[in-house]
Amino acid sequence: MLLQTAPADTTSYMLIGFALIFGAIGLYVLSLYVRSRNLKKDLAVLAEVEPRREGG
Amino acid sequence: MDATPRGLKILTWITVGLFALASYAVLVYAPREAVMGDVQRVFYFHVAAGWVGALAFLVAVIVGIAYLITKQRRWDTVGLASIEIGVVFTLINIVTGSVWARPIWNTWWTWDPRLVTATVMELVYVAYLMLRQGIDDPDRRARFGAVYAIIGFLSVPLTFLSIRIFRTIHPVVIGSNDPGAEGTFDMTAKMFQAFMFSLVTFTFIYATLLWHRIRLQHLADRVEQEKVRLLAG
Repeated sequence: MLLQTAPADTTSYMLIGFALIFGAIGLYVLSLYVRSRNLKKDLAVLAEVEPRREGG
Repeated sequence: MDATPRGLKILTWITVGLFALASYAVLVYAPREAVMGDVQRVFYFHVAAGWVGALAFLVAVIVGIAYLITKQRRWDTVGLASIEIGVVFTLINIVTGSVWARPIWNTWWTWDPRLVTATVMELVYVAYLMLRQGIDDPDRRARFGAVYAIIGFLSVPLTFLSIRIFRTIHPVVIGSNDPGAEGTFDMTAKMFQAFMFSLVTFTFIYATLLWHRIRLQHLADRVEQEKVRLLAG
């Protein structure tokens, strides 16, 4: 970059960087949502099983 | 699970708004760096992600000590949630550093002290998450988690200080620079404002995610208790 007069053209690397940042945060938020949804389903199934067991 | 608390809803929307503003600040408001060009904009979120990682691991130490003193499981829940978030943001920090390094250092990776210590730190906490899975007894797991979080934290100051005590090409943002550092730049007023705003925004992101993750863990614990109760009955 010696004797350089204009900024280097590094826009593509910037786009990759921000895609990774937004992507990683988005994926983590999605994982929280999916795990929460699955646990709620489990809880609903367990609530269904209990009366059946009590009823014999 | 109980309905989302009003405070969490408000915090979540504030965080979304701050994140949108921070994205505008780093992509539009901050000027393009004179030598490195647009890739320098990654720096704002790169450092902010590293800050969240360190903060998350520090919180895990504090709640780890709190658990060892009080033996209350809620501290273990906070520690687990905090470390999980710390691992995600440290990974963002490492990967974005690599993307920045490619055009500036002409390589994706080099065995520089900062890169090595940051990766070791990440692996230490990934191991924490994996090892926890192998312990069935909740009290033993919590005790292990607390002690591990305290000892594992040694990797955090080592990572932070690595660019100050070892010869390195990694730039130092705050404080004096190694003459061998490559990719150093002087922040203008607008760059500094975008930088500080990013740090504040990512702190909000951490707090919001932590609250959501703690609630998720409470739900997981409830499912586990229900299963045990059904099997016992």
